[in-house]
Amino acid sequence: MKNEKGNWKFFIIGAIIFVIFIFPLYWMVVTALKTQVEIFQIPTPLWPKNLTFDAFADQLSASSDTLRGFKNSLIIASGATIISTILSIPAAYGLARFKFSGRKILILYFLMTQMLPSTLILTSLYIMFSGMGLLNSYVAPVLADATLGIPFSIIILRTYFLSIPKELDEAAKIDGCNSITSFTKVMLPIAKPGIVVAAVFSFVYAWGDLIYGITFITDPNKRPITSSIYNYVQQYQTLWNATMAFGIIAILPVVLIFIFMQKYIVSGLTNGAVKA
Amino acid sequence: MKRRNHISLRAGLLFALPAAVYMLIFVGYPMIQNFILSFKNVDVYTFSDTAKQSFVGFSNYTELFAGEEAILSTAIINTLIFTVISIFFQFFIGFGLALLFSKKFKGSSFFRGVTTISWLLPVTVAGLLFKFMFASKGGIINQLFMSLHLTHAPLEWLLDPKLAMAAIIVANIWIGIPFNMMLLITGLTTIPEEIYESSKLDGANKFQTLFKITIPMIRPAIMSVLTLGFVYTFKVFDLVWVMTKGGPINSTELVSTYAYKLSFEQFQFSKGAAAANILFLILFVVGIFYIKLINDEEEVM
Repeated sequence: MKNEKGNWKFFIIGAIIFVIFIFPLYWMVVTALKTQVEIFQIPTPLWPKNLTFDAFADQLSASSDTLRGFKNSLIIASGATIISTILSIPAAYGLARFKFSGRKILILYFLMTQMLPSTLILTSLYIMFSGMGLLNSYVAPVLADATLGIPFSIIILRTYFLSIPKELDEAAKIDGCNSITSFTKVMLPIAKPGIVVAAVFSFVYAWGDLIYGITFITDPNKRPITSSIYNYVQQYQTLWNATMAFGIIAILPVVLIFIFMQKYIVSGLTNGAVKA
Repeated sequence: MKRRNHISLRAGLLFALPAAVYMLIFVGYPMIQNFILSFKNVDVYTFSDTAKQSFVGFSNYTELFAGEEAILSTAIINTLIFTVISIFFQFFIGFGLALLFSKKFKGSSFFRGVTTISWLLPVTVAGLLFKFMFASKGGIINQLFMSLHLTHAPLEWLLDPKLAMAAIIVANIWIGIPFNMMLLITGLTTIPEEIYESSKLDGANKFQTLFKITIPMIRPAIMSVLTLGFVYTFKVFDLVWVMTKGGPINSTELVSTYAYKLSFEQFQFSKGAAAANILFLILFVVGIFYIKLINDEEEVM
């Protein structure tokens, strides 16, 4: 930044990398706006000559799976987020603020669960949910998706609670708060930004889940959107403009979250992964 | 003082208990069940009839490795190739971008920020997007290759056993770069500016600074990125399931997709459980390594 020339050199390199890196997303949007004819043209135009919103209109029509999948995912991801956040906040607080035997083991336990492959518990969960009659209901993926959010949420929230000065707890205690009221009245309001990040990550994880969705729900009316788009492609192999329009609708919540919360997401991600 | 310790012991545990119990029910218990299941003979015939289920010792494991149709060894090798190559490129590209975007220049935080989005996208959608880009008809990658005269006819990226692995690796690298970049940038920001200034005064050139100062200083971040990256990549499922489903002819079959197929396409639940346990075993070793790593570094724990 000291000399202008160096600055411009970096800007140009950065811009080139940016364009290459973001190209797949650009291509998704452009393809969704093309006709099938243009998609298979050689060379295919880099911007649609006959720009059309037909693919989107089809996906948004009442008969399509898209909106239903969207609604299902919204229910499933919200459910998982609520469970994950409600359980993670006190756990993170307990692990950040109190020294007790087994604390370290608990932290390691949550860390380990974050690294487990879904396939490891999938078969047993399937048998368990099938025994409880929960297959083909929202409950099964909600319960399973929450396990994706909990470890991560605990880890980032613990870092957050650790960063809040201890004096605040002590001041609350002097004012007559016990452990629980100092947690609800003092800590929770301060930790709000951290809680939002944890909730957002739980939501994004649950929204992106495919394996639990395709395994526990086979009823097309209850499928989450990742599972619907997967099934859609199996059916309409090369209908790429429609598939890409479907994909854009499927990533919409994530993109919106990303646009509005970018700063928090980056800090949350690095805290959750490095600092444990 | 004694009493207070006692209270805080109970309170801390009480706060953590609900989440711990939840994870025990929905992760711990299924893990143990999966372990037991892998020594049984549960398949589509015995699934609903517990009387016919029995323990069969290690036979699921031996069959997975030595059976006639067993491809677990292939799947493990594929997973290793997929993981190592993905991480190699993710790391070096991520590191390069971290060095670039940790500098302050016009647009740097914008470029860096928007780049992170590939990591947040639902992998299913990213996988389909790459499936389209690698398509033999209408795929942009073939068009690019042909216009650069790298190939004369369109390549069947996802239908050719030799190329399919390359295609899924490219997609996975794209998804993973931001993760590497962000963690390394965080590492880079911990290096005090004065160190760079004094090394400049000592006449160190850019390479010396990179290898003698930057890399040793961010070693913890580098190790984290590599081990975590290994764990996350080794268990990838969705991306491959969406792009190739393990094909063609098992050329992209990973341990995770193989375990899934055994359980939910062939309904050999016990065999699927055994394959998933092998996956777990490998990850467990790496996971221990990671935990030891952060334990050594963070005295707070």
